[in-house]
Amino acid sequence: MATRASRVFIFLILSLTVALAGCAKRPATTQAAAPAPTGSGQTMAPPAPVAPPSATTTPPPPPPSAARPPSTGPAPAAQTPGARPSPKEFVAMPGVLKDVFFAFDKYDIRPEDAKTLDANAGWFKSNPNHLILIEGHCDERGTNEYNLALGERRAKSAMNYLVSQGVQASRITIISYGEERPQCSEKNDSCWEKNRRAHFLVKPR
Amino acid sequence: MLRLVIAGVTTLALLAPMLWLPAAPRAQQGVEIRIDVEGRGQRKLNVAVPPFTVTTGPESAALGTALAETTGADLTFSGLFTVVTPSVTLPANDPPSLRKTLEDFAGAGAHAAVHGLVAVRGDRLEGEMRVYDLTSGPDPRQIATKTFTVASTQPRRLAHKIADEVVLQFSGELGVADTKLAYVTGRPGAKEIVVSDYDGFAPASVTRNRSINLSPVWSPDARSLAYTSYKNGYPDLFRIFPFERRPEQTLAAFSGINSSPGWRPDGAQLALTLSKDGNPEIYVLAIATGSLRRLTRHAGIDTEPTWSPTGRQLAFISNRAGSPHVFVMDAEGANVRQLTFGGYQTQPRWSPKGDVIAYTARHGNHDVWAVGSDGSNARRLTAGPGDNQGAAWSPDGRHLVFQSNRLGGWQIFSMLADGSEQKPVTRGSGEHTSPSWSPRLP
Repeated sequence: MATRASRVFIFLILSLTVALAGCAKRPATTQAAAPAPTGSGQTMAPPAPVAPPSATTTPPPPPPSAARPPSTGPAPAAQTPGARPSPKEFVAMPGVLKDVFFAFDKYDIRPEDAKTLDANAGWFKSNPNHLILIEGHCDERGTNEYNLALGERRAKSAMNYLVSQGVQASRITIISYGEERPQCSEKNDSCWEKNRRAHFLVKPR
Repeated sequence: MLRLVIAGVTTLALLAPMLWLPAAPRAQQGVEIRIDVEGRGQRKLNVAVPPFTVTTGPESAALGTALAETTGADLTFSGLFTVVTPSVTLPANDPPSLRKTLEDFAGAGAHAAVHGLVAVRGDRLEGEMRVYDLTSGPDPRQIATKTFTVASTQPRRLAHKIADEVVLQFSGELGVADTKLAYVTGRPGAKEIVVSDYDGFAPASVTRNRSINLSPVWSPDARSLAYTSYKNGYPDLFRIFPFERRPEQTLAAFSGINSSPGWRPDGAQLALTLSKDGNPEIYVLAIATGSLRRLTRHAGIDTEPTWSPTGRQLAFISNRAGSPHVFVMDAEGANVRQLTFGGYQTQPRWSPKGDVIAYTARHGNHDVWAVGSDGSNARRLTAGPGDNQGAAWSPDGRHLVFQSNRLGGWQIFSMLADGSEQKPVTRGSGEHTSPSWSPRLP
């Protein structure tokens, strides 16, 4: 049936080329414009996404339980190994704990940033009653998911350096924000540089 | 009750072989590339879509006009039709008058006409589609009819279903108008997931947690979305059911990132990125049991898994060669091969037809590219202005949606799979990013 329909289509197209070649532009016709989305106030749009699909007579919907019976369960894979401290409980220490910065698409610690990390490590070691949160950030260039991974690597690089300097790994939690929390919103090099960073926060144990 | 009647096809079909077009070009794997056939420069069929006739119910004229406009816009969007919109409707039940009106449409350049007849019955909207061939000489013939029923609160779905059926009649594959988009709306630090019709109408928030919500991806049954959210503080992976009163599921909440969901086409497995074992690696989560299988083992970044339609391979991003590039591996993680080289490529999305992988390449700005799944024929689909990225396929593989900042802020755009007919889907205030196109709705 599909083949026949396709042939009808082809026939009709060829009708255009063969029989109606000179009739392409008729003044009596106008091309429809795509409607502009207008939000929730319009009459044609349902207020909420869709009604249950059972109201259609098109090809029958797959039975909800056929493909994946276990998916009706509330949480198949909520494996959280241990409680993670809430990032909201951590505070920055401006002037004391400084950010380190990274080149575009890189997560290696540069020599000048190693000095910053040395200073941060010194504070962490002399304040052993504080837990540490390292945020990894990216600039807005690059793409979302990759930047999430890149920010993770930046935080991890900073963490590994701190651990190599004698900070206990068990005190450190890392979180990547990818490009989602820029500290500078202009679109230029100096701003992007500021956003490619690892940021340090602490909270008392 | 489904009914499909095609009358008058036989004569046309007999004529058709003489006029048969050259066979479609084939990819090296032997997969037919429809998109090359139906792309730029394709001659379109002129179809007249007069106002639908509403036989019972209030607001009949306005409803009939609005439905015809929606069906017409869908047919225009398909890339297969040029829509002409007569102001007069068809006198469906008055044969002599019907013939005269159809002849007028043909005289105005239409090759086919689509008419909808609609009845409002309680909470249901019953519609009948009739398709007429106007090229068959002095006696236009009805070549297809089909009936649909939708909820009366969902009139646009009736218009979309009629358009999808018309596309089926003329192209051999059902259209994609009766589908949804999911995308991210908001600003840095405050992003929510929104679901709208495929054409951007009726956007509605599906998350309201005032956190950062990212990367919505439709499940293959079009009933749920996997997405990453910081609502519990860290980037965890959740599954939400936007059309049902059904509790959200936590898919993965390990230490580190839980991100980049990619549904296997059977819906039973989800590929994802976890960094719980040290650095971002790709795993496969069995939805039913919660068991995890690790696919990549590499010191670099591995992320953004996307399944082939057979479920036997995945494309993904790795920076193991220095910068991020597109790689392909089999479902066990073996037979890794690099598909794109040089520069910076991310966001691979395997076409539902299997032959092409769309991705984002960075050359200063970002643009959407496509490459054969065998690595051949890498080509650029967008060429600015601004950044164009984050493409997602329509279920028929004939269209892509993507995010572009060519007009200033981020908006969702659509295009045909060859890069032609780029146009905005979302408009107005707010930043809209990370689109995912649902499968056809059940």
